[in-house]
Amino acid sequence: MTEFLTAAVGLILTLLALGLVSILRGPGDADRMMAAQLIGTAGIAVLLLLGTVTGVRAAVDVALILALLATFASIAFVKKGLSRLESDGVGSAEGK
Amino acid sequence: MSIATVFEIALAAVVLGLAIWTIAVPETYSATVGFVAYGLLVALIWVRLDAVDVALTEAAIGGGLGGVVLLGAAARLRDAEATAAERPDRSTRLIAAILSASIAAALAFAILILPDYAPTLAPAVVANAGATGMANPVTNVLMAFRGLDTMLEKVVLLLAVVGVWSLASDRAWGGRPGPRHEADPNGVLAFLARLLPPAGIVVGIYMLWTGADHPGGAFQGGAVLASMWLLVIMAGLADTPPVSSRWLRFILVAGPCLFLVVGLGGLCFGAAFLAYPVAFAKPLILGIEVAMILTIAATLALLLAGAPERNT
Repeated sequence: MTEFLTAAVGLILTLLALGLVSILRGPGDADRMMAAQLIGTAGIAVLLLLGTVTGVRAAVDVALILALLATFASIAFVKKGLSRLESDGVGSAEGK
Repeated sequence: MSIATVFEIALAAVVLGLAIWTIAVPETYSATVGFVAYGLLVALIWVRLDAVDVALTEAAIGGGLGGVVLLGAAARLRDAEATAAERPDRSTRLIAAILSASIAAALAFAILILPDYAPTLAPAVVANAGATGMANPVTNVLMAFRGLDTMLEKVVLLLAVVGVWSLASDRAWGGRPGPRHEADPNGVLAFLARLLPPAGIVVGIYMLWTGADHPGGAFQGGAVLASMWLLVIMAGLADTPPVSSRWLRFILVAGPCLFLVVGLGGLCFGAAFLAYPVAFAKPLILGIEVAMILTIAATLALLLAGAPERNT
């Protein structure tokens, strides 16, 4: 079972690295933000699996914090980045 | 070489590569996204190193609130960047690069010359865990054995808020920080801002409570509460409070003041400043932490909200 879970960690880490490639390539800010979201989700999965494999129960707590804060960060990205994504209009109120 | 070691080496390589990219990328927005992803990955590494307390803080600050602060800075700089195409000249950039590289080299050197058995107080901390009735050695060090450092840190946080507020213009002094956020009251954002905070508040309180015996504590809990408050503000469901309001200022000083009062109590009735009576050590520390989580949540949220800029 441990081998299977370790292999799963490896698979998710690989996907996470692919998400990083997407952050590097872009091309737009929205693509980068979506990739950061993906990395947050993958990080939660890795933490939950690692916590089970290594017996570090508190890893679940880190996953909890990550889930809440990654959601918050991506919302802030959208709110603050909006004025850039849409050149003017709705987002202009955020940039003040 | 075991498969786990291979993963660890790969993770370290990925983090290094991401860090270099974050420094090298020209656009501030992309660099901020890179920094947030970097924070998430570093949290994974801390868990792997069995430093879960540090991982919690890194996930909350590096992956969350810190990224949002940088994002605000990037949003403000964006207009300036568009108008002034001026870039620092070659020699300035070279000097900055040399300075940064020499700091990194000095740190690396300091780590390399550490003796194999670094002097440590960790066994003493574990041996004296019974003195406070709490099992988490990190909380013991932060709240009891090095309580003075923690108290002064909270005062520094307070000074940081004063520093941010002092950037306000005379006209806006005492007003509300940040813009008034508007969002569709029936939209996805407003829905999420109603759905997430109840769960987030429970997680924040849980972080405080579990911090006595397991990784966690008031700072991580406060960071979660701050992010939930800011989420509600960003969704336009609530407004930032005016910085002149009495209850806000009371919350801001509550944590450090209670800490100071308990510390002076130790001076009057106990052995020394911040010496807890053994019988009441845990209730006293918990009381301080409850006041502290509110102070930290309010402080972090106000640091992110910025200087007061409007009176309505």
